[in-house]
Amino acid sequence: MDITAGMAGEPASLDARRAALSAWLSARARVAIGFSGGVDSAYLAVEARRILGADGVLAIIGRSASYPAEQWAAARKVATDFDVPVLEIDTDELSDPSYAANPSDRCYFCKSELWSKLAPIARERGFTTLADGTNADDLTDYRPGARAAGEHRVASPLAELGFTKADIRLASRELGLPTWQQPSSPCLSSRIPYGTAVTRERLGQIERAEAELRSLGIAGDLRVRYHDDLARVELAPATLASWLSTERLMDIRNAVTRAGFERVAVDLRGFRSGSLNVLHGVTA
Amino acid sequence: MTPRDRGDRTARNVAALAEGLSALGLTCAIEARGKLVLLMPDTATVAKLADEAVRRAALAMAKENGFTHAAIELPNDRRRVNPGADATLLRD
Repeated sequence: MDITAGMAGEPASLDARRAALSAWLSARARVAIGFSGGVDSAYLAVEARRILGADGVLAIIGRSASYPAEQWAAARKVATDFDVPVLEIDTDELSDPSYAANPSDRCYFCKSELWSKLAPIARERGFTTLADGTNADDLTDYRPGARAAGEHRVASPLAELGFTKADIRLASRELGLPTWQQPSSPCLSSRIPYGTAVTRERLGQIERAEAELRSLGIAGDLRVRYHDDLARVELAPATLASWLSTERLMDIRNAVTRAGFERVAVDLRGFRSGSLNVLHGVTA
Repeated sequence: MTPRDRGDRTARNVAALAEGLSALGLTCAIEARGKLVLLMPDTATVAKLADEAVRRAALAMAKENGFTHAAIELPNDRRRVNPGADATLLRD
């Protein structure tokens, strides 16, 4: 991965941001972090552990049907390897009809469920500051989940201090975090077009299909987009050409049909963030 | 626009796309699903689409004909023995 692509921060300014983050964390002393194990929250949790010590940080994982098991395992591994205290709670956004109906602000309902469960648990344990891994790039994107974070007074120090995704990858690499080159990993519901109901069955089907594809050796960005009977597979553009032979396409087809899809197609452009929004004409 | 108008327009787009792809030397059956177009290529066409320039040309042609996404699908065995399942398919 070329982590310099789209990089905004020079090393000196990254150092300054890291110093500012250290000061921000030290001023709060005890910080609970919504921890998915993705690039951003993993960096924040490990940096907080380094600055505040084990008593000063609690990384809280919200487990639900839309959270991939593969990512949960990766989150646990980071926490173990970097001695970050972890607490796991169950969240159940699918039981909220507003979420399950899959409106374009679906993330608001998910994050409302997450923070409403996480906040009281954190505060009971003496963690008065709640934080998430939102970064500066996220602020330019459509992120209805941020509204829920605001309602629960969740701080976003990485965004506040100007950390871009590229900054976070660089800083993570310096800390030896395996997540520095991990692809972005939004929840499984992001594979289902807005307006199509999110169900456990569909999430399970998508997760199984992606796991089957990973077992073929597909690396980097990968999404199985849900189109009822059809799965549209998006591969990282850099790897796409190597899968465009009849034999390898059959491997993909067989892997995805094992997960329960009747039809399988491979997108000719490859992975693009927000692909379903383009297809369904959704604008934020 | 009535559903029939939309259907007519989609059929015209599919026909124009099939013609354009054929001019590029790409042979495939085509199915439209809204703004997504599915290409079902023969073996030689799959190999041609591994070339980025060819792929880019095919994508541009799909876009010209009103599609935001193009994907390739290999027919599975069950559908091959049950062509009736492909009622909306326009084959070359």
